[in-house]
Amino acid sequence: MNERTWSAGRIWAVRALVIGVFFSFWEYVSVARWIDPILIGRPTGIIKFIFEEIFITHSLWEDFGYTMFATLSAFTLGSVAGILTGMLFVMKPNVEAVLSPLLMALNSMPRIALAPLFLIWFGLGVGSKIALGFSLTYFIVLTNTVAGGRGVNPDHITLAQTLGASGSQIFRKFTLPSAVPVIFNGLRLGLVFALLGVIGGEILASEHGLGGTLQLLAASFKTNGVFGLIIILAMVGLSINWAMTWLENHLLKWR
Amino acid sequence: MTTIESPPIMTQASPATATVPVGGPGSIVIDHVSIEFKAAGVLAVDDASLTVAPGEFVSIVGPSGCGKTTLLNLAAGLLPPEVSRGSILVGGKPPVRGNRDIAYMLARDALCPWRTALGNAELGTEIRGMPAEQRRKRAMDLLAQVSLKGFENTYPKALSQGMRQRVALARTFGLESPILLMDEPFGALDAQTKLQLEDVLLNLWQAERRTIVFITHDLSEAVSMSDRVIVMSARPGRIIADIPIDLGRPRSVRALQKDPAYHELYSYVWTKLEEGLGQS
Repeated sequence: MNERTWSAGRIWAVRALVIGVFFSFWEYVSVARWIDPILIGRPTGIIKFIFEEIFITHSLWEDFGYTMFATLSAFTLGSVAGILTGMLFVMKPNVEAVLSPLLMALNSMPRIALAPLFLIWFGLGVGSKIALGFSLTYFIVLTNTVAGGRGVNPDHITLAQTLGASGSQIFRKFTLPSAVPVIFNGLRLGLVFALLGVIGGEILASEHGLGGTLQLLAASFKTNGVFGLIIILAMVGLSINWAMTWLENHLLKWR
Repeated sequence: MTTIESPPIMTQASPATATVPVGGPGSIVIDHVSIEFKAAGVLAVDDASLTVAPGEFVSIVGPSGCGKTTLLNLAAGLLPPEVSRGSILVGGKPPVRGNRDIAYMLARDALCPWRTALGNAELGTEIRGMPAEQRRKRAMDLLAQVSLKGFENTYPKALSQGMRQRVALARTFGLESPILLMDEPFGALDAQTKLQLEDVLLNLWQAERRTIVFITHDLSEAVSMSDRVIVMSARPGRIIADIPIDLGRPRSVRALQKDPAYHELYSYVWTKLEEGLGQS
């Protein structure tokens, strides 16, 4: 097991090779019609689709804008509400005792089942997508905030008590900062789930957005387009993760 | 039952205990105190009486679970009032949580990982409301005294155990409290680092002469630093000996290791501790 670790350059080279072999094989299978291209598309076709939609017709940009707006709105509203509720639970255990089981029941509902209801309430537009994303983000951030607030070092509390710290000082100087890393993990997941909720909502029924386009392309058997959108969505998810990691490394230097 | 014995090699009464009025600022008077946790059915401390004079360095030693820390927590006002009987006065007042007369140092450093060494050193004074400029100056000053100049902006994760405990010392001494309660502050350190920090503590104390009650299970630490060593028995904790340590001041813990008087006192305290283990 003690093989020598490769340099970063070599790892990238081998990684590119693996990807190249995979897509070449895919292309060959498709061209030779071992499998019908309707089912698996064609890598060159996928690249052509992405290129045309982004750089020539620009048609994806508007959809991308709708989806990102809904995702970020759902994320922001869901995290703020989740953090506030979580803090309330940490500070007022009685409130938590009353509400927590109810919220857990809501959370265990398969959220996509709420989508039709949200469509009735908020219409076909962006509102119903935000609602669905919110319903996912809120609970994840809430759970993490509560866990973070509980994770405060008991030594810090003892120290604070001997110093005569007030309740609000204990909260601001000990509970909150020690909860931040755990809350951050919740935010990272929350953003990914906001995207999931929005795309899911768009696939079910929508006028705009990447999810709606995906549904439309699939319904007309434009397999290359479907794969193209899936790749774009994967890139968006990756970027979200990178952005959150970057933010975390900058805000939580002390870790 | 409290038996205060006079030590074998005591030539005169310890000056601190003889001259200072009892019960004033900086003093601790514990009078027939018992501490019982009824829910757990544990009698932690049994009828302890002890007077600590202002500016005195008193160590309390005893086997683990003998109630040393419980006694300290009582003085710091951390215990609910119903668990203790008898009377205790800290700086002339009954114990209360957050008493500004007290600075408390825990066994673990309890540094905030999100604060730099400087931020941690000024945490106590910050909570107690010292103005920003003043507390910063004081923290810088203390960090220099514990030989951490140049580490002001370092986060705890990058500091060694010994350095972290130095920061905790700076945080504790930064407070303007006349009484310092220390609960095995060097318990987790290796022998070499411990000796260094004992000298750091002695220097800080010798500069200001505040009252220190120092809990430890390390006899050499207790004997080398203190004016008096209090020996407690195994649970339920009783005070079984009160031994003045009349080695000269200022002391250096490391220099003492070669002093025969130190070793004589050490073995006397050891005998007392053994007797305490035999009881109960």
